[in-house]
Amino acid sequence: MDHRDKGMAENQKAENQKDDTILRVDHVSMCFRMANDRVSSLKEMVTLMLRRKVQFNEFWALKDISFDVKRGEVLGLIGRNGAGKSTTLKIISGILKPTEGSVYRGGNIVPMLELGSGFDYDLTGHENIYLNGAILGYSREYLEEKYDDIVAFSELGDFINVPIRNYSSGMLMRLAFSIATVVDPEILIVDEILSVGDENFQKKSRARMMELMHGGTTVLFVSHDLKQIREMCNRVVWLEDHRVKMFGDTREVCDAYRL
Amino acid sequence: MNVKKYNLRKVAGILLLVLAVTFALIDVIGWNRLEGSQVGPAGVIAVEAVLYAVAAFFCIRMVIKDRKGESTALGNFFQTIARYEFLIQQLVERDFKIKYKRSVLGVFWSFLNPLLMMIVQYVVFSNLLNVRDGSIQHYAIYLLCGIVIFNGFNDCCNQSMRAIIGNASLITKVYVPKVIYPVTKVLSASINIVLSMVPLLLVTVIYGLFNGLYLHWSVLLIPIALIFLIVFCIGMGMLLSCLMVFFRDTEFLWSVFSTLWMYATPIIYSTDLLERGGAHWLVRLEQYNALYHYVDFMRKIIIDGTCPALREFVICLAFSLGMLAFGWLVFHKNEDKFVLYI
Repeated sequence: MDHRDKGMAENQKAENQKDDTILRVDHVSMCFRMANDRVSSLKEMVTLMLRRKVQFNEFWALKDISFDVKRGEVLGLIGRNGAGKSTTLKIISGILKPTEGSVYRGGNIVPMLELGSGFDYDLTGHENIYLNGAILGYSREYLEEKYDDIVAFSELGDFINVPIRNYSSGMLMRLAFSIATVVDPEILIVDEILSVGDENFQKKSRARMMELMHGGTTVLFVSHDLKQIREMCNRVVWLEDHRVKMFGDTREVCDAYRL
Repeated sequence: MNVKKYNLRKVAGILLLVLAVTFALIDVIGWNRLEGSQVGPAGVIAVEAVLYAVAAFFCIRMVIKDRKGESTALGNFFQTIARYEFLIQQLVERDFKIKYKRSVLGVFWSFLNPLLMMIVQYVVFSNLLNVRDGSIQHYAIYLLCGIVIFNGFNDCCNQSMRAIIGNASLITKVYVPKVIYPVTKVLSASINIVLSMVPLLLVTVIYGLFNGLYLHWSVLLIPIALIFLIVFCIGMGMLLSCLMVFFRDTEFLWSVFSTLWMYATPIIYSTDLLERGGAHWLVRLEQYNALYHYVDFMRKIIIDGTCPALREFVICLAFSLGMLAFGWLVFHKNEDKFVLYI
């Protein structure tokens, strides 16, 4: 990064802090290249590369996406299948690097794209809490402090000392949900609201989500359920055809989306 | 949530202290040998002084820049470690726990494995190669040094090769600097290398009681030898795990290549044997084999009981840092593309 860029980045940072923007997606485009002809062997690949004939099909999953999220806001992302919602979330959480544009992040992000992806099935629930917590970026002291809360919330009781390969799927999801939410992240990314466990636990987890959303955590929230979006979100981004079709107040966007 | 940070002044202090102790150790142990070497004690001390000055320069620069609120490459490196220290620790712990989770003997396999290997190879090769007639002194220990080093290296490579593709579900869902995966795999495998030093030293002591081989102060240099090896392995691990993402053939190629490498390294034979067999070109080629130097380093420390010559230190250091830099370069250049290929 040269000095001018650095200066600009710092200016932007100062600007962002002033108006309390915690996340800014700036003209982000994402292009996937898909190999056109099926290269089946190394030999073929080499000869094609030597002739510079490997052709790629370009696929723009996102084109010039921009929006920003303010601290404590709940932002909804809506759009039809394949509009680019998940790609957007992955870029925001840093998993994918955008082809063009940039993302400013003003806080720690906990992506709940898929629960329990960091679990190791040979370890016990206890060990997995620390492992998964470490992956999500929490420190040891913090996890030790919150450990009892996590176990209590997950309702696992004595099963916490059993290797999780013996857990039922409901138990796994409860544990994963508890780790991701009992700690309070600054930015939480949720892909589809989670309906895990029995009715009782579902109620509890929804209450927990609501508590997080009202308690100052910034939430990015993808859902196909417009009712949920209307209930929870302050503002909504509507993605269509890999572009932002509309960005604004929940009611306006939802009404337009409906039509 | 606050991000953990190190006090860079403390880090710099510890770094320089460790370096000073290391140099002092080398000087004290190698003293009687240094006088006879080509460079002489004055030369050795001069080299150490230069290295120390370079290290001190970077450390002081890091601390000063940090105080001004600027960042340096070295400072960033330590803060990244600080930030992900807990994760690294957790991942290493996991690998280590899982490795022996359902085995009866557990950690003892780390001791047992090189021992059993040594017994098999000793029985076979000491008869086959006629090494007992004095061409290689203390053949059992000679063999064990080689086996321990090479097995450690091979284990590190095999573990770290699958680091990226094995953690695919994590990499596509959570952002963590990807270099952490191969590094933690190498670190957890190198716990085994450290553990396998126990049977090595134990066997040496027991064997030595009957055959007149005694441990010298030079065994204190073992940590240095291991650090050279582990750094080399980290470089290898980054390279292999990166290649593995793009070409799954790497796994099969590597298993052939590592066997080749093992036989190309004087583990069961010695360079003297090669020389006698007339394969001079092979002996010359060994100079470019990093593992040969590490194995030789270890043997000098344990069997000869002397400090390796300055030249050996420099060669080992160069191989380690060179591999680390090369591995990092390849890895870093491609890491953004990993997500698209796994």
